[in-house]
Amino acid sequence: MTDTKKTGISRRNLLKTGAAAAGAALGAGAITGFPTIWAQNPITLRQFGTGVSNLNAIAEKCKADLGITLEMTATDSDAAAQRAVTQPDSYDIADIEYWILKKVFPTGVIQPMDVSKLTYYDKIVPLFKTGKLLPDSVIAQGTAPHTVGYVDAPGDKTFAAGETGWFTMVPTIYNADTLGIRPDLVGRDITSWADIMDPAFKGKTAIINVPSIGIMDAAMIMEAMGNIKYGDKGNMTKEEIDKTIDFLIKAKQDGQFRAFWKSFDESVNLMSSGEVVIQSMWSPAVAAVRSKGIACRFQPLKEGYRSWGGGLGLAAHLEGAQLDAAYEYINWYTSGWVGGYLNRQGYYSAAMDTAKEFMSADEWGYWIEGKAAQGDILAPDGTVMEKAGALRDGGSFEERMGKVACWNSVMDEDRYMVRRWNEFIAA
Amino acid sequence: MVREKRSVGFYVLAAFFVLFVLFLYGPLSAVFILSFQGPQGGLTFPLNGVSLRWFQNLFERQAVGDFGASFGRSLMLGLMVMAATVAVSLLAGLAFRRKFVGATPLFYLTVASLVVPSIIVSLGIGVLFQQFGFRPAWFSSAYGAHLTWTLPFGVLIMFAVFNRFSPAYEEAARDLGASSWQTFYHVVLPMIAPSLIGVGLFGFSLSYDEFARTLMTSGSTNTLPLEIYGMTTNVTTPVLYALGTVTTVFSFLVILVTLGIILLMGRRRARA
Amino acid sequence: MNNLLSRATPYLQATPLLLILGFFLAIPILLLLVVSFWDYDFAGMIPGFVTFNYTETLGSWITWKTYGNTIKFAIIVWGITTFVGFWVAYFLAFHIRTATMQMVLFLVCTVPFLTSNIIRMISWIPVLGRNGLINSGLVGAGIIDQPIEWLLYSDFAVILAMVHLYTLFTVTPIFNTMMRIDKSLVEAARDGGANAWQIIWNVILPLAKPGIAIGTIFVVTLVMADFSTVQVMSGGQSASVALMMRNQMSLLQYPAAAANAIVLLVVVLFMVAGILRIVDIRKEL
Repeated sequence: MTDTKKTGISRRNLLKTGAAAAGAALGAGAITGFPTIWAQNPITLRQFGTGVSNLNAIAEKCKADLGITLEMTATDSDAAAQRAVTQPDSYDIADIEYWILKKVFPTGVIQPMDVSKLTYYDKIVPLFKTGKLLPDSVIAQGTAPHTVGYVDAPGDKTFAAGETGWFTMVPTIYNADTLGIRPDLVGRDITSWADIMDPAFKGKTAIINVPSIGIMDAAMIMEAMGNIKYGDKGNMTKEEIDKTIDFLIKAKQDGQFRAFWKSFDESVNLMSSGEVVIQSMWSPAVAAVRSKGIACRFQPLKEGYRSWGGGLGLAAHLEGAQLDAAYEYINWYTSGWVGGYLNRQGYYSAAMDTAKEFMSADEWGYWIEGKAAQGDILAPDGTVMEKAGALRDGGSFEERMGKVACWNSVMDEDRYMVRRWNEFIAA
Repeated sequence: MVREKRSVGFYVLAAFFVLFVLFLYGPLSAVFILSFQGPQGGLTFPLNGVSLRWFQNLFERQAVGDFGASFGRSLMLGLMVMAATVAVSLLAGLAFRRKFVGATPLFYLTVASLVVPSIIVSLGIGVLFQQFGFRPAWFSSAYGAHLTWTLPFGVLIMFAVFNRFSPAYEEAARDLGASSWQTFYHVVLPMIAPSLIGVGLFGFSLSYDEFARTLMTSGSTNTLPLEIYGMTTNVTTPVLYALGTVTTVFSFLVILVTLGIILLMGRRRARA
Repeated sequence: MNNLLSRATPYLQATPLLLILGFFLAIPILLLLVVSFWDYDFAGMIPGFVTFNYTETLGSWITWKTYGNTIKFAIIVWGITTFVGFWVAYFLAFHIRTATMQMVLFLVCTVPFLTSNIIRMISWIPVLGRNGLINSGLVGAGIIDQPIEWLLYSDFAVILAMVHLYTLFTVTPIFNTMMRIDKSLVEAARDGGANAWQIIWNVILPLAKPGIAIGTIFVVTLVMADFSTVQVMSGGQSASVALMMRNQMSLLQYPAAAANAIVLLVVVLFMVAGILRIVDIRKEL
């Protein structure tokens, strides 16, 4: 155990010397052939998670590269959490979010990964190891992925305080959410989370309707309005929950909100149909609205972003060849192709350096570095997503992920929170 | 009814019926129109051009999920549920025509089956399978979960069917020396056959549509409603509406075939 | 021997139903009952015997308010669907002359119910939305200046969608009982000088009661346990009992959700027992 810990520390030192430089160290030839033993010995891995990352293109490429059949099942995030906990036999790979991992992992359905078997562990963004994107970043509030990222030993039910040799999940995608706006309909500059409460937008706003995430949206708004200063937005006290919910109830009764969205799709439809002109939103959802020819902006705000991330966890029952295949799959996942694919959708991938190899210089510039696009930026299906000259809202990867104010989280008082949330919905 | 002239009541009711049908089909017409949305168009109005793009897309690989495989599972499951619902409801309907010990508890259990929130039943069955070491799958646990949903409907509709079902026909048949099986097969069954087809259709459509009860019971693979729902966690396109249009047209075909069968049976009975 | 077989018949006939519901329903309900007395904390469930899941549920005004709201939906939707169901069934059963035509028209009513619920629900959104069919039609025709906001994401939208989703559940049983009404009774009443209203009120309505009761049970139970219609059509602005449970389940707070489910089960079973006191659908089998 101490050995792995040591290597962990040395790795961190290495990263401190320069996260960006680590990319250069990656040889071009490092990512080539994978053993194709699975073609002779067919293996199927069953993965489930939300439709955000359970993409058919990934399964297809995985089959072609590794010979592993990836059976993907898309569900919503609620069902994913339920299934993860109550039916551990029904999957081999769980694709779930970090905040719910905090509750799922202690039930013993996920086995931690031995980092020495993860080829690209070193390339994983430090955000998931230390909570800091850059060595001098401030760790954001909430269930930051690194706080649930490690255990001291297999079988442990509590998370380790720092980096160890046992990784709970390998991150798949993550992003920073902010307000999406219809620049043609808001008619003024939007600079703060508080702007969603502007009486001018009465009946034309929305926030997310997942209790543990919606309350974070509300917390960002509350703090921006100067109503309250939270000790930790991601882990409120009962009093703070009361204040936040009372505020929400009042806003709801005043008719400030048009609706609360639950799925990606709903947020896109609310925006594109003109029901809502300002709402909390995901970056790719903004892109989806824009792809319909409707002006929509992912608006950076001075208070920063509310962030979330998901990862792949190994089911506890995996062993033998299946476990080997699962490691193989995860190593392939972080080796670049998938990363490039996800980055091009507007999400961020776990190992940026490997992903870079699979993106054109222009794509890398537009999506990650925040530079103006040289040529047209294409969607995975080949249609034009952004015209040449376009700049990504919010700027570069570091600008966005460096300004995370808090992560989606579950609170210690989540029981009380859900009770009050139900009250808000009933009000 | 024997009168040749239609009363005013008839026209009022006919107008009411037409309005009702329009109400039923109204939103479907929005689905129908939007399924011809142009390639850049979204899920809401206005139309952004007109195309068959989304019908074509229905048969292509989607970004997330797989229509073909999940449709196959839903269809198969729907047929299995339909068969079991018809058989079990018919038997139970017959059983309830007589007194037997435990009839009331069984009746309330049946009603409870309608009442228990579907997400809870779903979770309960999922956990049960996990505990017993069976693997949940659409053809085992989800099959059972769907039956807890369709059977109460089937049984209660059989109540409506057997309600005031005159025993005189059966007595007459028995007096003529028919065995109870013959009585059932030649007398009772033909009389209730249309209702049984109704129960079957009901069972099929309830199962084909069922979402919450399948959520925790379908194991590693999705049925069609789950797949559609899963797709809405990513960017969706009017392909969903194309699917709606195709299923409606498909349902019409199923109904036409069913109708044909009923007519054929009616004619055979008339001849006999 | 024959007598024995004949007496055993109802038991044999009821066995499949009992077995299926026993395994897939009774055992899960028992499981639920047990879990509803368990304790839970942040990380998981703790087997034991505590009653605060119930006291917390029953002692909170949110629960009562939510039940009130759900029952309000149930009553309104029941009223509308029963009214519509009765007249549609009456029209089909007594005004359509041929059995074939009856079948055809009945099936026309069932087709929309074969299209996926999810699709049928989201299909209301382009119709009712701020820029939807109705609003753009009304604004375009100059009838109103501003789009009507309450068409979507409101109680109105929830009730509209529920009526749309559940009317078939009243039409079917009422139609089935009406088809069993002996037509000679209607003739006799007419010959006796009764007018159409009197026939409906004194002959058809009493005889159709079991069908109405069955339809009522369907609609009441469906609305009471609904969460997706309320969630989607109210835009998350309205609460329902099942939605409350779902929010608890989303954070894996199973004991609280289980207690809630048991309370709902008891409440609705009492409602059904009440309906059966008024019309015992089993007496007239």
